[in-house]
Amino acid sequence: MDKLKISSYLILIISIAGILYALLFNPPPWIVYGISIIFIPTGILSFGLISMKRGPKKDEEDKNREPFIGY
Amino acid sequence: MANILLNVLIAFLVGSVLFGLQRKIMARIQMRPGPPIIQHLLHTLKFFIKESTFPKTAAMPFYIAITAMLSVIWVAAIIVGPVTQGSLLLIFAIYAIHKIVEHNAGSSSGSPYGKLSCVRAVFSAAAEVPLFAVLIIIYFKAGTMNIAQIISYQAANGPLIYSIPLAAAMFFVLILSKAPYSPFAITKGKDIISGYETEHFGLLRGYLMMSESTAWYMLLWVFLTVFIGGLSPLWYLVGMLALSTIVGFINATTPILNPNHSIMTQVSFALIGIVGSLVLLLY
Amino acid sequence: MDIIILGQQLMGYIPLGDIVLYLAPVNLFMFASALAFTTLIAISRTETQVEAGVGTLKDQEVKVDKDEFKIRRFLAIVCGLATAGAMITGDLFNFTLFVCLIGIVNIGIVAAVKQIDVLDAAFQYGLVAMIAILPLFGGAAMILASTGTISLLEIAHIPTTFMMIFGSLLLFLGVAGETGVAPFYATKAEMFRTPGSPFLLIIHLSSLLVIIRVIEILLIINKPF
Repeated sequence: MDKLKISSYLILIISIAGILYALLFNPPPWIVYGISIIFIPTGILSFGLISMKRGPKKDEEDKNREPFIGY
Repeated sequence: MANILLNVLIAFLVGSVLFGLQRKIMARIQMRPGPPIIQHLLHTLKFFIKESTFPKTAAMPFYIAITAMLSVIWVAAIIVGPVTQGSLLLIFAIYAIHKIVEHNAGSSSGSPYGKLSCVRAVFSAAAEVPLFAVLIIIYFKAGTMNIAQIISYQAANGPLIYSIPLAAAMFFVLILSKAPYSPFAITKGKDIISGYETEHFGLLRGYLMMSESTAWYMLLWVFLTVFIGGLSPLWYLVGMLALSTIVGFINATTPILNPNHSIMTQVSFALIGIVGSLVLLLY
Repeated sequence: MDIIILGQQLMGYIPLGDIVLYLAPVNLFMFASALAFTTLIAISRTETQVEAGVGTLKDQEVKVDKDEFKIRRFLAIVCGLATAGAMITGDLFNFTLFVCLIGIVNIGIVAAVKQIDVLDAAFQYGLVAMIAILPLFGGAAMILASTGTISLLEIAHIPTTFMMIFGSLLLFLGVAGETGVAPFYATKAEMFRTPGSPFLLIIHLSSLLVIIRVIEILLIINKPF
């Protein structure tokens, strides 16, 4: 578990909690808009960061430098 | 909240399928079998489980945040459009931020292709700003910028597409310039690989494609709502299919223009549209 | 609160005599996005631009060095704050001042770069921006002279006269020059060739947001009905 994974899980949990709060408790409209504008995109992004595949550790340096080689 | 979530989901799914349909139409016109219609949707989802890394040269955290920004603005557009029917001015502010995202997604990676796309985005923004004048023409005609009021104006006085057809044509050029493979898509031209998306691969590309599908749905929604009026969901779907088909025909038969030509064409459309509409309004 | 501007309900305003700040949904959205981008700029690194080297097979990396980075980041943040200010001010003169500041800072952001093409473009853009200050303030002054106020909330209730239309034409010319849109854009795109994408972003962001805002202001001043 590296830093990226942990922070992604954290953001995903916060986003889902926020969306569930707005779904279940019917807060005033502007809070609902704020929650959906911020938490829907961050939820999707953090889900993506968790679900994406990571390459083997030893290749990482090369791929960061020349991302297209090996694809 | 349930309403917003449902609208976001519909926008994403319909937008993706419309993009797929467009590719299919283009392929058939060019005598190719073409990919299945759901291919764009599958690609979007597939990218989420692909191996991804972030280039060493990229400007972090901008490189990632800019993709989230694209998603943020189009979720905001869905709230302004189908959910609350707010101000048209806000939709154009969102469109402006879309241009910023194109600009910065290109330059934040450090790739020369992205950089060229970034310069082109600035260039094309200068040409698309005159097309924003469509907003003023609608305001002059309908006397309001509120989407709900524009719908009720059209219910009383007939669709705006009959009274200000040149403004509709201008808006159509604006929509056309957002379609992939369109003659005005200079920021995504194949001469610069994939333009601003070149270095956003894997998960980030999927995320960008998701937002682009939503953007396509929203642009068509705004066109249909503002120029034809409040339609039932079925007619919205028919209208979107028709517009996507027309765009597909145009894209299949035209090459991507050289940046200078693309901008001059857009500016000419804007000039004809503005002057023509004002003349039509006065007489 | 039942003030409606261009079909939008005002969400709130701070009346300080003629100096008014107000928020409608459009202003709030543009204000928030200007601030969000400014925050991102403040915490971002710059990218390393990879170019093909001349006379060799190796890549050439163009970086932003530390001193340059600091001064450009400072100017970019000032530009972001000026843009955010221009989005919520309900006062014509403050708006022109913010636009003027944006123009000056934009030149500053690229002037710290050591590339001749970019400096040339910045110089030409600077000339246009400086000339554009005259119609910018002239237009605002003419609107003040013909209406007696610079508060947009007040101007929204005053019937349009010919001098107001003339003043707003000048104002538009000024803003177009300051932000480098349609007739004046030619050299502006060249400025974006330099590395330092977070800082270049704010140049583009400020000009597009200011254009939207000036459309709103011109429609408030010139009421077609």
